Amino acid sequence: MSTKTPAAPADRQVQTASPRLPNPGSRKFFRTIEPYIWIAPSIILMAIFIVTPIFKVFQLSMNKVTRAGKLKGFNNFENFTTVIKDPSFALVLKNTILWTVAVVVLSTLLGFILALFLNNEFKGRKVARAIVVFPWATTLVIQASAWKFIVNTDYGTLNTLLMRMGIISAPMNWTSTPAAWFGWEIACGIFVTIPFVCFCVLSGLQSIDASYYEAATVDGAGYFQKLFKITLPLVKSSLTVSTVLNIIYVFNSFPIIWTMTKGDPANRTDTLVTYLYKLAFYNGKQGEASAVSVIGFIILLMCASVYMIYTLRKGDEDL
Amino acid sequence: MKKILAALLAAAMTLSLAACGGGNGGQSNTPPAGGSGTPSPAPAPSGDKASLNVIAAQYGDLTKDWWAKFESDFNSSHDNIDLKVEVVSWNDIYTVVNTRISNNAAPDILNIDVFADYQADDLLRPIKDFVSDETYAKFYPAFLEQSNIDGTIWAIPDLASARAMYYNADILEAAGAEVPTTWAELKTACEKIKAYDANIYPWGVDMTTDEGQACFAYYSWTNGGDFMDASGNWTLNSAENVEAVEYIVGLVKAGLTNSDPATETRYDLQELFAAGKLAMMIGPNQITSYVEGKDNPINFGIASIPANEGKSTSSVGVMDRFMVFDKEDTDDKVDAIKEFFDCFYEDKVYSDWVIMENFLPATSTGGEIMAAADPAAASWIEIVGSAKFYPTAQAKWADVKQGVIDVEQQALLGGNVKELLDGLQAKIAG
Repeated sequence: MSTKTPAAPADRQVQTASPRLPNPGSRKFFRTIEPYIWIAPSIILMAIFIVTPIFKVFQLSMNKVTRAGKLKGFNNFENFTTVIKDPSFALVLKNTILWTVAVVVLSTLLGFILALFLNNEFKGRKVARAIVVFPWATTLVIQASAWKFIVNTDYGTLNTLLMRMGIISAPMNWTSTPAAWFGWEIACGIFVTIPFVCFCVLSGLQSIDASYYEAATVDGAGYFQKLFKITLPLVKSSLTVSTVLNIIYVFNSFPIIWTMTKGDPANRTDTLVTYLYKLAFYNGKQGEASAVSVIGFIILLMCASVYMIYTLRKGDEDL
Repeated sequence: MKKILAALLAAAMTLSLAACGGGNGGQSNTPPAGGSGTPSPAPAPSGDKASLNVIAAQYGDLTKDWWAKFESDFNSSHDNIDLKVEVVSWNDIYTVVNTRISNNAAPDILNIDVFADYQADDLLRPIKDFVSDETYAKFYPAFLEQSNIDGTIWAIPDLASARAMYYNADILEAAGAEVPTTWAELKTACEKIKAYDANIYPWGVDMTTDEGQACFAYYSWTNGGDFMDASGNWTLNSAENVEAVEYIVGLVKAGLTNSDPATETRYDLQELFAAGKLAMMIGPNQITSYVEGKDNPINFGIASIPANEGKSTSSVGVMDRFMVFDKEDTDDKVDAIKEFFDCFYEDKVYSDWVIMENFLPATSTGGEIMAAADPAAASWIEIVGSAKFYPTAQAKWADVKQGVIDVEQQALLGGNVKELLDGLQAKIAG
């Protein structure tokens, strides 16, 4: 034993030395580039699927584009000026802002209340949570088709239900004006957005330590004091994330409006996305459609920048 | 192994003999038939084949299968041509084609509705160079004229559809109304139906983004108006057109139509019609089979679209086309394209396709075959033969189409028709 013992470290030294990189410099180099190798697939995918289309849209928006899709050179921002001068653009922009604000604000409010309710202990809570997920898990086109069917004057289930209950005697036209249509579209948008807000808030609520509430109760705090002094500050980060993401999703939402009205009548229910779709694929004006897309992108970029500045200032732990 | 190869070659030869249309120019590469005992030369390697790429519009559920069989039959009977048909849905076809064009990978042959935009970009070749005289002679001359720009025909029609008035005979009888032939009679009939049952919509109107231009054409053309005059000038704000839009908007405002013409498409209307909730509507020939396919089909009739007093009725025709892209084709390729069209428009193949798609034929020989097979189709073939078509050869047609839809929808919201049409005319013609 004793004679063999000194030989062992020498063997190990040889064995451990063999898989090493040729020199310490190479190893250091590898360590430096290693993170980039790991993130390379994501970067490549983002470059292909995000950066390239954005570049393409910017390129189209600044070129004269024929209906057959041929680029005919830089046209001095003519696509932008044509779009902005069109009176329907102001109407569409107003609709987009109304649509985004109404859907995001109301769904956040209702989603928050629903999350508070689902955070309580009660029998059947799991089933209730599963039911809330349904609207989220269903395709938007199906949701919008279902809503269109519900409010239809001639065979809609809303009229059938109200007539069976004896509330109305003859079918009512629930969509007699463009504003009524837009209202139903907003209602559908809220319905499908609530689950996302609800689950974001619910995840925040579940991370709140019960001892805060116990201490507040001992100090004599009421329900609303606990809600505004403990719950809201502690779920603020979840609410911020869900609100920012919702602004982007809702602003860019296409299927609900397209399925229900296609932006008709006369652009009264159009948002920027449905409007640019019509410009591109019904009117063949791809350059102008890309200009609308760029304008939408800039508006969202401004919203996202506000969020980014806010997060950077506050720091991660605060959000 | 040799036996298998010999059997395969024999099979290939048999199939080539069964080639449709007999093969004229397209067979120029085929070696002359040898003696009965002489082994056939090996088929030309795929590199020597004329490759033919076709993009075809998907009309229905059976379109893909039909083209797949056509492709397979065509390729097995044409050793020197490699045909590939890509069937694309109407939702995607414009994007797909434009993407291909911008990547310099346009198809050789395209089946779509519009052609003027491609012609304006110098992407097309005159179609006459790619269709044999025999096949070219089959088309209705009026149909070919719809693809005429500056004296050159750029596309050939593949099929057509026409519009007429459908009416529910039982509702009209119960309401004591006659089948209307004039605008005044139409209004009277609508009022009688409304008085008979307030839950039935007397008249169907579609002013949606999908097909509001058809609504404009129905009333403009039956009032002596049009999109353009004979000299090719836009006449969107003519007195006839103003009167036409005011008439139909008036019917809507009087509560004599479906409740929401700006969002109810033709498909919604045909559903209401088939369910007996709509008494009359203007629609294409496919509505017949749609209504007859229902469990309890209604008792319906077909009549001409009502016209204003003293004006003649007119049907609205819709047509799709084949066009050939300019790709500096070799003679072999030109022959291959001719062979493709000869096979497609071969009377039996073509009528089989048109019947399968439930449209109307664009060739006189196809029309004769269909009329003989189905007497109901005969009257439709007569209608489509005299129908008017949209001015799709005009590069501004897309703007005009969207413009008249916008005018109709604005008028529904209370806009002044004359001012709206004046604005559109200034935008298009100015």
